[in-house]
Amino acid sequence: MRRSLPTALVVVVGLLLLLDFVVVNPSLAALAGTLLEYIVLIAAAAAITGALALGLRQVGLLRHGGEARSGPLLVLGGMAVMLIAGFYPGSSGATDPAVRWLVAALLMPLVAALFGLLFFFLLGAAQRGLRLRSRETTVMLLAACAALVLLLPLGGIVGAWLAGASSWALAVPIGGVFRGLLIGIAIATAISAARILLAVDGASDD
Amino acid sequence: MPDIGELIGRLVGLIGEVLGASSLRLGIGPTLAIAGILLVLLSLVARPTSRWLTRDLGHLTAVSRSMALAAESGAIAAFSLGTAGIVRSVAAAARLQTLAALPILSHVARAAARSGVPIEVTVNDPVAAMLAESTVLEAHRRTETLERASRARTLYVGEGRATAAAHALAGEPRPGAAFVMGGLGEEALILLDGFAAGARSTTFGTASASQATSVLLDGEGTLIGPELYHAPSDLVRSGHDRIAVFAGNRIAWASLAVLVVGSLLVVFGGVDIVTFLVGH
Repeated sequence: MRRSLPTALVVVVGLLLLLDFVVVNPSLAALAGTLLEYIVLIAAAAAITGALALGLRQVGLLRHGGEARSGPLLVLGGMAVMLIAGFYPGSSGATDPAVRWLVAALLMPLVAALFGLLFFFLLGAAQRGLRLRSRETTVMLLAACAALVLLLPLGGIVGAWLAGASSWALAVPIGGVFRGLLIGIAIATAISAARILLAVDGASDD
Repeated sequence: MPDIGELIGRLVGLIGEVLGASSLRLGIGPTLAIAGILLVLLSLVARPTSRWLTRDLGHLTAVSRSMALAAESGAIAAFSLGTAGIVRSVAAAARLQTLAALPILSHVARAAARSGVPIEVTVNDPVAAMLAESTVLEAHRRTETLERASRARTLYVGEGRATAAAHALAGEPRPGAAFVMGGLGEEALILLDGFAAGARSTTFGTASASQATSVLLDGEGTLIGPELYHAPSDLVRSGHDRIAVFAGNRIAWASLAVLVVGSLLVVFGGVDIVTFLVGH
């Protein structure tokens, strides 16, 4: 009974938006538009609440954290710097040069450095995959090697043949597998969305 | 003073006006198709457990054993809800994966609570953090182990995919069991490798098609594509449910065989099997 009201609300809102998708009606469109605005507002409020909760938690950790105070200090310091850059008098918000500089000069190089490690992690993952399930991983790695050979930047007749073969491989076998996966994901996503809409929980009670 | 008949008449008139002012956006055919698909979906979700198929997706039935081993070695269980979050500015299909992973987190958290293994859930979205914390607390409540709830942790590792990957690399090594479920992006290999490092058992899952290979390479138990959405349905209540699913499968196959054989007999054999089966 406790869940009946939220469930009813979710079902009604979901069906209204679906009805608006298939039926053209001015009143229905206005109602759906209002609901969508509420959804955006709720998401924004949830994000702000989350950020506030994070800040309060870090303050709590700073008070009672003992030796491990560097983490909360860094988080609170980072939040303060970004907030000051975005809200100082005369600031243009997220597009302010100070905010842009913080993102471009501090965050992006860190992210780029991390993603630069991907090649080495791929090799590590291949090794782990060979240990876990050698046959399947061998097939996968052989296919990856074949794709690499097909994509070699060669000229002449061999290069033209390789280019044609790589286009065929991308469009037919690889494309087929990918499309099949995407169709399966789309169907499962729709079923999952319907489950959430109807508040049907598949988890066990054990 | 208007009577009941007049009121009903006005209501019917109002509905007629609304219907008169409306038109089908997609035409009759596509609208009927959408309604048909909805009916099929509703029939599929009418029973939350798997009706036609039962499997061990992602080795999730072995979660209790993994937790027992983790308890013996005094290790923790590490769980990541992916990097898509709930209110992050990524595609809705990726964010839905976070919601799909919550029942799996619930299953793992219950096993961890029963075994006395502390679970550490990492997220990169504040709203997902709240949901994860509630899910873990509910798991302790359902297993009547609330005294162990304080050992469970939910960590918000910061905004962005890179922060989640970096935290996985720098995080506590050698968890007893590692799980990564949800939307993944280009950071998948780093995140999965960080979780798998030293873990005794790993189960990874994503419905992000581009990261299927990362999951296949790094995880022992894997949930690829639609399997992430199917897995919660397979976490059935008891063995009786599984037996019922197997029995349902056999009945479905038997019915199909009778239909095919009967049709072949009617078409090619000239045998009137319909009268024999249904009596008229």
